[in-house]
Amino acid sequence: MKRSRIPLLTTLALLLFFYVPIIVLVIDSFNGSRFAGTWGGFSVKWYAKLLQEREIWQAVRNSMVVAVAATFCSTVIGTCAAFALHSFDTRLQRVHNMLIYTPLVVPEILMGISLLLLFIGLKIPLGLFTVFLAHVTFCISYVAMVVLARLQDFDFTLVEAAQDLGASNWICLRRIVLPLLAPGILAGALLAFTLSLDDFVITFFVAGPGATTLPVLVYSMIKHGATPVINALSTLLLAVTFAVVVIAQRLAQEKHT
Amino acid sequence: MNDFLEFKNVSKRFGTVQAVDNVSFSVKRGEFFSLLGPSGCGKTTLLRLMAGFEQPDNGSILLDGQDITQIPPNQRAVNTVFQNYALFPHLTVRENIAFGLRVARRPRQEIDAAVTEMLKLIQMEDKADQRPNQISGGQKQRVAIVRALINRPRVLLLDEPLAALDLKLRQRMLLELDLIHDQVGITFLYVTHDQGEAMSLSDRIAVMQGGKIEQIGIPAEVYEAPKTSFVASFIGDTNFVDGTVTALPMPNYCRVRVEGLGEILCYNDKQKAVGDRVNLSLRPEKFHVTLEQPQEDARLNVLRGKVENIIYAGNHTRFWVHIGERRIATYHQHRRYHLDEKPIRWEDEVWVWWDADSGYMLDDYAPLLEERGITPPPETIHSANGKEQRI
Amino acid sequence: MSRRWREISVSLPSLLWLTLLFLIPTVLVLAMAFKPSDGYGGMGPGWTLETIRSLRNPSYPAIIGRTLGLSLLTTLLCVVLAVPMGYYMARTQRIWRQTLVLLTVVPFWICFVVRVFAWKHLLHPDGFIRHGLLALGLIAPDTMLLYTTGTVMLVLVYSHLPFAILPIFAAAEKFDFQLMEAAMDLGATRWRAFTHVFLPGIARGIGTAVLVVLIPALGSYVIPDMVGGTESEMIGNKIAQRTFGDRNLPHACALAALLTVAVLGPLMVMVFGKGRSGTAEKSVGGVV
Repeated sequence: MKRSRIPLLTTLALLLFFYVPIIVLVIDSFNGSRFAGTWGGFSVKWYAKLLQEREIWQAVRNSMVVAVAATFCSTVIGTCAAFALHSFDTRLQRVHNMLIYTPLVVPEILMGISLLLLFIGLKIPLGLFTVFLAHVTFCISYVAMVVLARLQDFDFTLVEAAQDLGASNWICLRRIVLPLLAPGILAGALLAFTLSLDDFVITFFVAGPGATTLPVLVYSMIKHGATPVINALSTLLLAVTFAVVVIAQRLAQEKHT
Repeated sequence: MNDFLEFKNVSKRFGTVQAVDNVSFSVKRGEFFSLLGPSGCGKTTLLRLMAGFEQPDNGSILLDGQDITQIPPNQRAVNTVFQNYALFPHLTVRENIAFGLRVARRPRQEIDAAVTEMLKLIQMEDKADQRPNQISGGQKQRVAIVRALINRPRVLLLDEPLAALDLKLRQRMLLELDLIHDQVGITFLYVTHDQGEAMSLSDRIAVMQGGKIEQIGIPAEVYEAPKTSFVASFIGDTNFVDGTVTALPMPNYCRVRVEGLGEILCYNDKQKAVGDRVNLSLRPEKFHVTLEQPQEDARLNVLRGKVENIIYAGNHTRFWVHIGERRIATYHQHRRYHLDEKPIRWEDEVWVWWDADSGYMLDDYAPLLEERGITPPPETIHSANGKEQRI
Repeated sequence: MSRRWREISVSLPSLLWLTLLFLIPTVLVLAMAFKPSDGYGGMGPGWTLETIRSLRNPSYPAIIGRTLGLSLLTTLLCVVLAVPMGYYMARTQRIWRQTLVLLTVVPFWICFVVRVFAWKHLLHPDGFIRHGLLALGLIAPDTMLLYTTGTVMLVLVYSHLPFAILPIFAAAEKFDFQLMEAAMDLGATRWRAFTHVFLPGIARGIGTAVLVVLIPALGSYVIPDMVGGTESEMIGNKIAQRTFGDRNLPHACALAALLTVAVLGPLMVMVFGKGRSGTAEKSVGGVV
């Protein structure tokens, strides 16, 4: 039977749609000309210029500090939450479940403005610390979701088998549950890390002066007139993203073998 | 022999389901004891109660006279072979087997020696450093068994250990399990829904249904002398007939009039009196089906019928024979090359005969919703009077 | 009782954190919509409906209408494009399937601001696309590709499409394609089998896709801000403008409350509809 070619063509067209803007951006980051429409020869001068901008290094540092701290915190809290949701079926957990899932569907801008109000109300000075608090808040839900999905696939007869062979609860957790869940928890942490690195809207609301993260910096650079330096910066960010995706993919495959 | 393992009035309820309903039984030291029944009969719950994964609502479990009902699973001298092996995927075969001794903090040399011995027992020394996903199903099974044996449990619990294996492997593992049981001399409590496994391995079998034990006995007992219609139909195929005792022609025998079939002679171990209603189980392989009339014998039941359906199954042939208003299912073993015999064909008038001792009187008769006994031949499911075909 | 204690101790960190930093501030925002503004970026004393009433100001209905319209249209386009792609991904060989999933997910991992910027760069007045179109005579010299409502729409579709493809693919992967063969065997045309067997078969996936596109699209802020003009502003822009520009927090809160109401509609469908909440996010998050 002859198959329709519409699905294949749509798929190809969409892949093109996904990647053309990105590829053009990458190519233009090596464009010697200041104007995107004309090719001024291959050049890395925008990268060289990028390296000289002190602002950017400050933003990179801010982004990393916030991302590492927020990832650590949200992974611990989110993993605990996933365990609670999975192990107990009480009214408290139903409330807990709601509380975990609603941040995922609330518009970012609403979360941004509400956190801003809270920090102003509590007189917490806006800065890296408030950005960190905000990032943990939205990362918890994602970590909990990823770990919970892995917990649902987890074969709990393994725990019974360990208990049966004489293992105490603590040994079960340390020797069986945590090693087997490690890829899931790591996947959750990785998701939290990239979400924190990528976040713009919420950070924009709660970051005070001096707490500029990379996306916020990119945004303000664009607002102040796009220079080809942004192309170079974006390309570097793309490279980092690809690296993270490759690592994540490796981790996911390790789980299957 | 003393009672080594005892269940005393044990009950367990899950929500609205009474999984185990006031069950009492005991297992002797060193015995291979099977819990046999359909899924949902409560056999696995009994096993989990024994392992300590569940707590009974009522009753107690005694091991060698000691009440272990309240002892948590990791402190019970009881180990389990799980249905899907439950081997730890992140540990090697060696580490899996050593797990029990390791958490017991035994000295390293002792662990190594014990693991090596166990690997030798299952002939898997060369696979010691592989992960569970690198070995075959039968090998996983063996690892699961010795992993549970290494702590020298007082009772080994086996939860459908062969269910995940294919037929040929299952038969080989049956022999191996039997061998291991002989070698280690530990009490085995074996849960299965497969009557073949239970029959061939067990010293004694408990047949369960609806959270209760229907009958406990040696394999031949539960097959040949089933107490209830459930046991009769769950283990093997059978024909059920019901009738009324009309006479007691000789000691220990009675005549039973079966509606639509005729008068038959039956062994009367239940000492029924004239006028009593009785239910009989007649195993298909006990019948003879011949074209020639058998020789007269006072203890022989001889009936005349017409062959309604024939299914040839290689080592035997099944005949459904219409007798009076009933239908009887029979097996005929081919002791000689099938084509040598004068073949019986559809619609042939045949003699159906069996020894009066071969029928067995049941304690009760409770029709099952889904008859596991004789499957009626496909085209005659609806009989003339519209009643379900049970002879 | 120790079980109860264990439950509380593992639940407490997230319960506490989310209550303090999510639940309370969100309720606060909704409450502030009923506070008067003092004109200095703070709020006045007492309670008032004045802020809510001011939303009737003629410029708002247009923005609200545009937000709803753009979001719904984005959702529709995303689903219409995602269905054939999900279908293809589910039917192709396993090795290609994994590659396609990866190719779909990667753009979703790239920094959001960068993705939007890529479009701004591509459609830039000096970019090669506009130059090419000009050279071909397809557009007039004064036609702008950027800062139009159409551009906002395009970039909205671009950034939300992966959210639509993944749940639809997840549903299509579980779909038994023999059902379509059975339908055609019984005389259905391929199109009929597609619309009457395949689409109902992946209805849940489509439902999920609609929600995970519609809800974030309603709250869009960066996209209209970066590639849109004054004629393509959405509620999100107004909220940011009221917060940072005019310093009128009660007003911003009133708009946020309005946005919440808009999001609540599809959310109710999710919670009280047949689907369990969370399946949507799981199919997106589960790809990681």
